[in-house]
Amino acid sequence: MTKPSPRRAAPPDAPDLFDAPGAPLRRHAARTREDPPNVGDGGSPERAISVSTLTRTAKDIVEGAFPPLWVRGEVANFSKHRNGHWYFSLRDASARVRCVMWADDARRVPAPPDDGMQVSALGRMSVYPAHGEMHLIVMALEASGDGLWRKALDQSIKRLTAEGLLDPKRKRRVCAHPRRIAVVTSPDGAALRDIIAVVKRRCPIVEIIVVPARVQGDGAARELVSAIRRVSRWRDVDTVIVGRGGGSREDLWVFNDERVARALAACAIPTISAVGHEVDVSLCDLVADLRAATPSAAAEAAVPVLAEVRARLATRAVDLRVTLERRALRARRQFEETAHDMRDALERLTARRRARLDIAAGRLDALSPLATLGRGYALATDDNGHALTNAAQFVPGHAFRLRLRDGSVRARTESAAVDPASERRPTER
Amino acid sequence: MSYEEDLSRIEAIVAELGRDDVALDRALALFEEGVERLRSASKALERAEARVRVLIERADGTFELGHFDG
Repeated sequence: MTKPSPRRAAPPDAPDLFDAPGAPLRRHAARTREDPPNVGDGGSPERAISVSTLTRTAKDIVEGAFPPLWVRGEVANFSKHRNGHWYFSLRDASARVRCVMWADDARRVPAPPDDGMQVSALGRMSVYPAHGEMHLIVMALEASGDGLWRKALDQSIKRLTAEGLLDPKRKRRVCAHPRRIAVVTSPDGAALRDIIAVVKRRCPIVEIIVVPARVQGDGAARELVSAIRRVSRWRDVDTVIVGRGGGSREDLWVFNDERVARALAACAIPTISAVGHEVDVSLCDLVADLRAATPSAAAEAAVPVLAEVRARLATRAVDLRVTLERRALRARRQFEETAHDMRDALERLTARRRARLDIAAGRLDALSPLATLGRGYALATDDNGHALTNAAQFVPGHAFRLRLRDGSVRARTESAAVDPASERRPTER
Repeated sequence: MSYEEDLSRIEAIVAELGRDDVALDRALALFEEGVERLRSASKALERAEARVRVLIERADGTFELGHFDG
């Protein structure tokens, strides 16, 4: 335990005199250095002892008389010295005692107590010789209930919230199919054993990288911060699990350390926190990308079940083939539709041409001289079918044909007489 | 190429293949790539039993993976 040094400031309040009984004084007086041996025992004015002897003797007696004790009381006049020592009083309805807590011990208390807070202090009774003042040298301090732990956590949460480090939008997706996971924890803790067991059971192809750090006691926060930063610099890993198995509140407290939480928030790789039991949410849980209740649960969240992954991949293989087949089928259908369209178009084209031909034929028919026969005229031709259109072509005694609407008649020329008006141009047509 | 990247690429390929407007030669190219990715992803799932190793940072700031006996 720390010994008082001359640099330490005295408790600030006015001293209460320590009423030392004569007998113990005589017993202890011989031990003091400042009076020559056997010169004084305070028994008479001539044998008066010095004030220093008195207070040093009182200190020896008091320190010898009390074992370290837990003392219950209310905190008053708390003040924190620049050098880290704490000065305060503990009091109840009718009494008070001055207390000092040296910096080394105060550092282990999660947060300074507030005035009026009910606490229990583990301390050694002593006397501050320079003031002749009795005080309790406090080595440990606990507030009733969550007390100081809660207070320290609330302060940290407030700071991290103000900086946006607890914003849910900051949370990154944890890799679903990691190749490697890093585990920041004690190399010989149950947490690491659990994580290795779960990973080997679920997905033995994932590599586990241990990043050792103490997870409780002095220096744990520093080691955790350093380990998290090391992984973050390395980067060659998909997921980082930070945690430890269950333990007492004090065992788990390092995961409420703001430095550890900040290192976790700054980690370049997605993080899973896995701290102890389900009931307590730690600062690291709030900062991590994913919170798991236990190291085993963290491992389950970190790696998939290999058999399921294989099944999923097989499904994807089927998907790939089926979509391609569907695409090919669509292509074939498109081709068939196009071929059909082409045939259709061709047919439509020929139909149109036939229709035009029919119209042309109709017109031709209308213009045909044969159509005239329908109206009762007859056409005269020779035996070869050549039309006989001039009277001069008819030779008496020769046969010719007459074509009528519904047949033909063979006839013979009796005589032919050319009409005088047509005589000049007998073969005009 | 990680398993994760392969798998998400395969899913993207399946999605694109399923679209109506993908050209046939593009579809065939996608399919070939998908098969290649499937092969690579399957290989990633067939690695040997993973080791547990410990991260060691050297004085010069480089890293190595050491043997871990837990």
